[in-house]
This record gives sequence, C-alpha cells and structure tokens, in this order.
Amino acid sequence: MNEVSIRFTGAMMLSLLVAFVLTILPVPEKWSLWRPEWLALTLMHWGLLAPKKSSLLLAWFLGLLLDVIQGTVLGQHAFGLMLVLFITLRMRPRILKDSLFQQLFLLFISLGSYLLINLWILGITGNTPPGWSYWLTVISSLLVWPLYHYYMHIYHARKKPFE
Amino acid sequence: MIKFAILAVLSGALMVLDYRGTKLQPVRTALKMLVYPLQYAVDLPYRLAHFTSEFFTVHEALSKDNRELRSLVGVYAARDQKYHSIEQENIRLRRQLKAASAVREKFTLAEILSVSSNPFRKTVVINKGTNDGIFVSQVVLADNNIYGQVESVTPNSAVVMQLTDVKHAIHVRNTRTGLGALAVGTGKANQLELKHVETSMDIQTGDVFVSSGLGQLFPPDFPVAKVSHVAYNPGDSFMKVMARSMTDFTKTREILLIWREDYSPLKDKKTKPTVASTTSSASIAGDR
Repeated sequence: MNEVSIRFTGAMMLSLLVAFVLTILPVPEKWSLWRPEWLALTLMHWGLLAPKKSSLLLAWFLGLLLDVIQGTVLGQHAFGLMLVLFITLRMRPRILKDSLFQQLFLLFISLGSYLLINLWILGITGNTPPGWSYWLTVISSLLVWPLYHYYMHIYHARKKPFE
Repeated sequence: MIKFAILAVLSGALMVLDYRGTKLQPVRTALKMLVYPLQYAVDLPYRLAHFTSEFFTVHEALSKDNRELRSLVGVYAARDQKYHSIEQENIRLRRQLKAASAVREKFTLAEILSVSSNPFRKTVVINKGTNDGIFVSQVVLADNNIYGQVESVTPNSAVVMQLTDVKHAIHVRNTRTGLGALAVGTGKANQLELKHVETSMDIQTGDVFVSSGLGQLFPPDFPVAKVSHVAYNPGDSFMKVMARSMTDFTKTREILLIWREDYSPLKDKKTKPTVASTTSSASIAGDR
C-alpha cells in the first residue's frame, strides 16, 4: 500500500480546518446529537492513505483546541483524537484498505474507544451525559464515512490504474 | 509508539492539572484566543444573514416599528423619571435610617457570537471580554430575566453558562408563597429542575420563581422560571418539579452584563472594573 500524494501544499491542513469548522458549526439542537465526529473521520482518512504524513502531535493539538471550544477538561479530546489516529496507524497494515467493511470496522473500534474514554472522563469530572443519545454520533459517523471518504479524494491525487 | 506514550501521559497530566486547579487558565485563554477568529468566521454567515434580512425589511414596517419604539421611549422616560424621584426619596429615607444603600448596578450589552458545539453543555460565547471589564462569575441578564453567569473570559470574548447548563444551580423563591428551592439546569433547552422541594411544600403549575439573592451572586427578585410540571412518586423524599425558564435561550441574541457595587470579585483588589462609556447606568430602587 503506497502513500497517496497530496494534491497541493497544505491540503491536509485545509481538510482538517474544514473538519474543524464542521465540528463547531452551529446547528439546531435536535441535529447536534447526530453530528458525525468530523475530525476523527478526517484523521482516520489521512491515517489510512498517508500514514507517513499523519502526525500524532497535530491530532493532539487539534483535540486541545476542541477541548477549549467545547469547555471540556484540557486533554480530553486531545487524547481521544490522538488515540483514533494511533489505532488507525497501528491497524492499517492488518486490514484491506479498499474493503469498506474493514474500514467501517476499524472506524467503529477507534471511534468507540475514543468515545468510551471520553465518557469515562466526563463521568469522573461529574457531567455524565444522560441516556443513550451520547452514542448517536457513532451511527452518523459510520453512515457518513463512505461518502466522506470518497469526497476526501479531492485533497489528493487519484491512484493511477497500474498501481 | 513512544510518541503516543508521551502524548498520552501529557494528556493525563493536563487533565488532572486542569481539573484540580486553575494553573492552566492562561493556557486555556491563549488557545481560546487562537480559535476565536475561526469561531468568528463560522458565525459570520449567520450574522450577515441576520443583517441583510434586517437591511431589506420593508420601509413601512420599519417606520411602524420606529413609531412604536418612540412612544415606548416616552413611556420609559416617564417611568425613569418616577424611578429617579423614588431613588432620591429612598436615599433620603435610608440616610435617615442610616441603613446601607440599595444595590446600584451598571449594565453593558453584549452579543452572542456562538453556541457551544458540545450538545451536552449549555454555554455561549459573547463578544466582550476583560477589555470591557467582564469578569468570571459575572451575572448575565436577558430581557430583565436572569440568563446565567460568566464562566471564563479572554481579552475580547467570554463564555457564558446558561441557567439550563447541567453544571448550573441558582437559589430561587416562589413569588406566591415565598418558599425557596434550588433551580438546577437539565441540559435541555429552557428546562430547569427545582430540587429539594419537600412533599409538604405548597407548589403548583404556573408558580413563578424569582432569584432569592441568597449566595450573594445573583441580584434578588429577578424572574427565573415558571413551574410547568409537578409530580410526586410515593416513597421519594422530594417532589419532582420541572420548570420553564423565563428567558427563551433559543431566541436570545443580545444579553446584558451587570456590575453590582456590593458584589464583585475584583472589589478587594486595587481597581474596580472600568466600564465603557457606552454603558448605561441604572439603579434598582425599592426595598431589599
């Protein structure tokens, strides 16, 4: 599995910026529970397609910014997003990159551990979210992944047929 | 792997430090200032849409609005005059009684910039910060009802916690019976829960609760919530009382921040908060 080449300088940063904006975009309250974890999806995409260019430190820093915006304990999302990228990078050699189901499985594992640890930290700091609505984001993330993964190709050159 | 371990330990350390103390406040403030432009940019289309829809409002409607507002100003001016005389009278009477002076308050208006993207918190970001004299745990009002309090500040923005946030609680008093209760946020829009209401207490749907002023943070007698639902499960020691907040948090765009002369955390320090010249000052007269 080769690295894809990025289409232009800063494409990765741009994609992460877009994901960040999608994360903080104001939406009606009913929908906000269904907001996919855009940053985690983006990090996983880059982790799968350009592992050498993905940086744990960058993921960590983005998580820190997310902590500040969402008013959670500093380091909570930082650890979570880094964990998503880390699991992706470690599992990458073990899966078939083009198989959708294996991708979804990997997404489920990494996102699940991210959100579970998040939930523990929320519980320890005393604001456990009520009910099961906390997990809706996993469903929406899994649903949106195929499309998002496909359209993320605008950020890098397409694979040549003989590769 | 080693990088992961280092960052994981670092995150753990940050979380513990941030949860246990306030040492990381400068870091948080710095990062917040870093993302502020982004937050502003994200909110910009909404502000523009608001602005343009206002700009293209039909002239007729505008002039009608204008007429109504003008007459309202007249009414308020008259009322203000009355308050002035009452205030003067109050000061005179208090001087005779040698009692402490009534609460004097200053206001400033701020705009809500963005709503928390975290669905489990009820906080908003406003466009005023320490440069305007905003301080942590400052009281925030909207349309003469209590809106919440300031959670954290940066030089040009601040985070305001709404009454409905799960971390927020305020002591309130029933206007009908005078009995107290604790209004705790539920994390749902415009929903408050009144805690510690004993089963023997007289409470019914439609009761209006105002702030009691206990705890010295919130000024007394500001409307907070109206009881919407009272239930009692036999066996529980308290009733389950749900209330609707007087402020409609989903519609409010502008809020008032107040400075009280008898309460401010900056009071024991050398300076009082400097208030911008646009700030209007008013006073609450009457008995406390």
